[in-house]
Amino acid sequence: MASQAAPAKPIPTPPAGSRLAWQLDPPFGTRHLLVVLAALAVLLWTGHRVEMDRMVVLSAQAIAKWIGLADESQVAHGIERVAKSMWPPAIEEKVEVARLPELDRNNLPWDARLETQQRIEKRMNLQTLQLEETVERTEYLVRPWGYVFTVALKMLETLEIALWGTLLSVLLSAPLAYLAARNYTPHRAAYLLSRGVISLLRSAPELIVALFFVLAYGFGPIAGVLALGLHAAGFLGKFYAEDIENADTKPQEALEAIGAGKLRTLWYGVMPQVMPQYIAYTLYILDRNVRMATVVGLVGAGGIGQELKGRFDMFQYDHVATILAAIFVVVFLLDQFSARLRARLL
Amino acid sequence: MIEFDHVSLRYADGTQALHDVALRVPRGQFCVLLGPSGAGKSTLLRTVNGLAKPTQGSVRIDGIVMSPATAAKLRRRVATVHQHFNLSPRMSVAGNVLSGLLPAVSTTRALLGWFEPRHRAKACALLERVGLEPVHLRRRAGELSGGQQQRVGIARAFMLDPEVVLADEPVASLDPRIAHDILSLIRDAARERGATVICSLHQLELARHFADRIVGMRAGKVVFDGAPDALDNAHVQALYEAAPASGHDGSPQLGAVPALAA
Repeated sequence: MASQAAPAKPIPTPPAGSRLAWQLDPPFGTRHLLVVLAALAVLLWTGHRVEMDRMVVLSAQAIAKWIGLADESQVAHGIERVAKSMWPPAIEEKVEVARLPELDRNNLPWDARLETQQRIEKRMNLQTLQLEETVERTEYLVRPWGYVFTVALKMLETLEIALWGTLLSVLLSAPLAYLAARNYTPHRAAYLLSRGVISLLRSAPELIVALFFVLAYGFGPIAGVLALGLHAAGFLGKFYAEDIENADTKPQEALEAIGAGKLRTLWYGVMPQVMPQYIAYTLYILDRNVRMATVVGLVGAGGIGQELKGRFDMFQYDHVATILAAIFVVVFLLDQFSARLRARLL
Repeated sequence: MIEFDHVSLRYADGTQALHDVALRVPRGQFCVLLGPSGAGKSTLLRTVNGLAKPTQGSVRIDGIVMSPATAAKLRRRVATVHQHFNLSPRMSVAGNVLSGLLPAVSTTRALLGWFEPRHRAKACALLERVGLEPVHLRRRAGELSGGQQQRVGIARAFMLDPEVVLADEPVASLDPRIAHDILSLIRDAARERGATVICSLHQLELARHFADRIVGMRAGKVVFDGAPDALDNAHVQALYEAAPASGHDGSPQLGAVPALAA
């Protein structure tokens, strides 16, 4: 052991309660406590209004039912009924031949086959007044994977709607962003106008916009593309513009100093900097548009959502199950894909 | 020839950055600006390329007064080498150098990045001249070392065959040996073309070594003007000694340059 060092001299502290020029207050006080209490009161009040208390009770009942503690639960009953009607998911497509007058028996679709089903029916013979059993034969055109193909095609349409919606939003938002960037806008009026347009586009939810476009353009993908494109253009316009405003000014100053002009300065001094973020935003919008494209279909704007709505309204929950599985698979794959793409581009 | 005709500049917040600066820098001279931070060196340089506008007096380049009307034409003849290089870090070295002749190419070519073969050849020749290798062409500018980035900055500055080169503390963030190389490069490249250089510096030794002429500035005024040999220790002390007027207590000072968006 080295020799014992002299004890360090303590830093003098003023006696408690003395008033100093330098003062460091504790981080929390009565005001914070009051704010927390007020927030709690508001939460309690609004929680009751949105039936959070009932939700807890119903959920508890359902859990109790499933672990065998209770006999009845409204929620558990509902879930079980839906689950039962959804299983098994619809795979095949089956149509009565009688409803297909155009069908050419010698030239069936490659994946289809004809099936005959027999049904025994009891009928009153009007001559003998006896009940007779007759055999009813119905012929069906069966495509064993038919419904999966149908869903895949609708899914493809949804992806296409998302892609075109994204493309439209990028095309719309690029000029908007240029006008709405404070440091590049040609005129203050253009700045205010484009900021207004961006806010307007962003404030309109896709689903409601799609509703109106369905009225204007009719059922189908046009309404979907327009609804997704316009909303995303507002989002992208705002973020593109803010990136231009916040870009490092050093490269811009270098180009300004040689008299490159605004457009060229933007292209060479700003774009290389903001490109990674632009790609990230656009990928996010593509990702979001795929999910929203399934939703806007519900109001008739094309794609898988339209199919889902139709089947749901006809209580064909086995078909609904297939559609939901397809949506899940696609969103999962898209997640993986966009994460990988992002990692590569940035 | 660059003429500062009694240039004064007062910023909007009231600080007087330049105070009646009258200088003539003849063609081909390597003129070094010395002085403490906030003396107005950067502002003086910025009046030459029109990024700062004198509130009184004017700057003339070869007899043409720098004004909004003439700025576009004059700026092409004035190149700037920046303290922080001011390259686009994510753009390739080649792209950065080529961006130096943006004012001289058509909009279509500029937007497509499709420069004429002679321009590309010129960029390559300049990059070789400043001591970079062919492998650097496609590298991102931000991946290079500070010294290499400044070489790219110099190559970019010479793309338009400037008649005037402004260098605002071009070696402030570089080590002494590289600083020496970079200044040699600026001086020699300028001499080959007969270009005038105005360069602000903080290193006295480098200033004495490279300058044809030294201009000492303090609080927006020219307080020394002469050959490097004429700058003796008394001058240096007068130039840099702490005075009440330029203390570091944060209060607004005569001649203090407000933080420029650099």
